[in-house]
Parts: sequence; structure tokens; C-alpha cells
Amino acid sequence: MSEQSDQHPVTGLDDVVHQRVRLGILTVAHQARRVEFGFLRTALGLTAGNLSQHLAVLEKAGLIHIEKGYEGKRARTWLSLTPAGDRALQDEVTQLKRLIHQIEQGSSAPKS
Amino acid sequence: MTDASVPSPDTLQEVLASLGDLTRRVRSAQRGTWFPLLLLGALTLGGILVGRFTFKVEAVSCPAGDAAASSGCTLITQGSPVYWTLGLALAYAATAFFYIRRSRNRGVGTPVRPYILTGIALVGLVAATTFWSIRQGMVQPGDTVDLWGLHLDPASGVTMFLERLTGPAAAVGLPLLVLSWVERSRALLLLTVVYLAIELVPLTDGWAGIPVTSPWSALPRFGVPGLLLLLGALGFGLAELPGKRTRS
Repeated sequence: MSEQSDQHPVTGLDDVVHQRVRLGILTVAHQARRVEFGFLRTALGLTAGNLSQHLAVLEKAGLIHIEKGYEGKRARTWLSLTPAGDRALQDEVTQLKRLIHQIEQGSSAPKS
Repeated sequence: MTDASVPSPDTLQEVLASLGDLTRRVRSAQRGTWFPLLLLGALTLGGILVGRFTFKVEAVSCPAGDAAASSGCTLITQGSPVYWTLGLALAYAATAFFYIRRSRNRGVGTPVRPYILTGIALVGLVAATTFWSIRQGMVQPGDTVDLWGLHLDPASGVTMFLERLTGPAAAVGLPLLVLSWVERSRALLLLTVVYLAIELVPLTDGWAGIPVTSPWSALPRFGVPGLLLLLGALGFGLAELPGKRTRS
């Protein structure tokens, strides 16, 4: 634990999670518990192809679970966070806050 | 690490702020507060009519030792525990159906389960207490009320408070507190606190100029909280309108 807190927060950022769109996907999925592809696409302002690519990266990393099905004749894709995804999001937000704190402290320190 | 690779705090703050915006957007899509408030308000106002049609005055023999025994005693009964139990259970079932349907239409999950489970559990508890007290019958002077192992003086303030608590305050108000928490809604929390205050503050007989012997004596008791819930439904419904326009 102490070893981790001694490290610079930048080293704690996960490249898969830190990407801005993927961070947005994880945030929406965390709050919504379960979110549909169309809602995500509108909320994040992405094309279907672009969103699919990001979802594939997150699914491969085991951070989200994707369910495909039909409602009537309409195909729907729902996704939810896995426990690992939930932890990864919490860690990312914690590291971001630490990083901001560290940069702000550094910039307010007197320069010699 | 070079200077160029170090992010600026402004950029990081922007990232966190955009995550906050996304969270608020999801919460806004999940909310449907107007619907349960509308149902509960209508149900509460319906209690006035139920009170009117179930109002009954009977001349009964006075309990032994009652000072008023010489002038005779009157028993007034009003209201139906079946109405509240069935009505509230149906209201919670309809609310669950509404939120699930809305969740499918909007494409976001619903956090409403704790509200529904709390509501149904408390309706069961309140119904059990009400039917138990009906079976106990009228308390004789000097007797205590045995409620869930408590030996209570029927005339004491604590008993009166528990009587008010084991009614709509518990079956409607406490679940609304849970809903305000799951929907992170301060406005609903405020409305619920006002509702609970109205339900729990003791009103003396004949309040609002309507005597307890009147068939309409339930009017202020149900009218005030019922109107509050309906006004809340209207307010939350109107607050959701701009969001609907944006999505459509």
C-alpha cells in the first residue's frame, strides 16, 4: 500500500481506462448499472463504429459485460460493468484526483 | 517524463467535470419521480372518499369505570385498512412496472429496486400492525396496549406518535426518503421531510373546523398530504419536460 502511495499518480493510470471516451463509457455504465448502446452513443456523441471499437477494447480487458438481444424486432445491445471494471473506474478517479492535487501543490510551492 | 507529457491540472479538472456531467445526465434519464408521487397523491385523496363512505356511528355500552357511562357511549369507525394495503401494494407494483418500462425505453438501468422493496416491506408491516390492532378491539380504561412487545399507555404521547408513524408516514414517507437517496434528489428529500412533518405532527380533533363526528373528518388528514404529493408530482413532471424535448 505504502509503496503504491509513494509512486507518482501518473504511474497508476491504466491506459485502457484513461482514454477519455472509455472513461466516459465506464462512468455512464457505473451510474446506469446497465446501459444500452444507443444511449451511450448519444451521451458521448460518437458514431456507432467508433463506440463499438472502444467497447471491444473494454470487453477484451474484462471491464465490461456485453449482452445482445432483441426487444420485439429491434436488436438491442446492453452493457454493464464487471467488478473489475468498477474497481478500475474507482482507481482511475482516485489517481486523477491525486494527480490534480500533486500538480496544484507543485505549482503553488515557492520556486528557488 | 518530459514536460510535454505532464497533463495540466486544468485538463484533468475538465476530465473530472465531464464525468460529473455524464453522471448527471444518466441520473436525469433515470428519474421518474412524478409517477409515484401522482399515484400516492391520488391514493391519499381517495382516502377522503373511503373515509366518507365507511363512516359509522354506533351506540355502544360504555367500558366499566368510564365516567361518561351514565350518558352512554358512541363508537365512531372510519376508513378501511384493506383500501390502504391493497392500494399501496398496487401503487408500488405499478411504480416498479413504470420504472422498468422507462428504463427499457431510455436505455439506462433503473435504481428503483430499494424504493420498491422498502415500500412493500413497510406496507406489510403497517398492514400487520393495523389488522392486529383491529383484532385487539377497544382498549379498556387502565389497560395497556401491547404492541410488538411494548406495553404502552394508550393515552401517552409515545403511543399517539407510534400510531401516526404506523400509517402513511411509514408506508409512504419512509420509502420516499429511500427514493430521494437512490435518485440523489434534494428536491424530493425536501418534499418528503415536509410530508413526514405533516403526517407526524399531532392535529387536534376538529382541526380545520371539521368535528371528529363529521363523515368528512378525514378531509384535512388526507387532503393536505394528498395535495402536497400531487403538487410534487406536478413540479417534478414539469421539471422533466425540458429533458424530454431535448431527447425527442
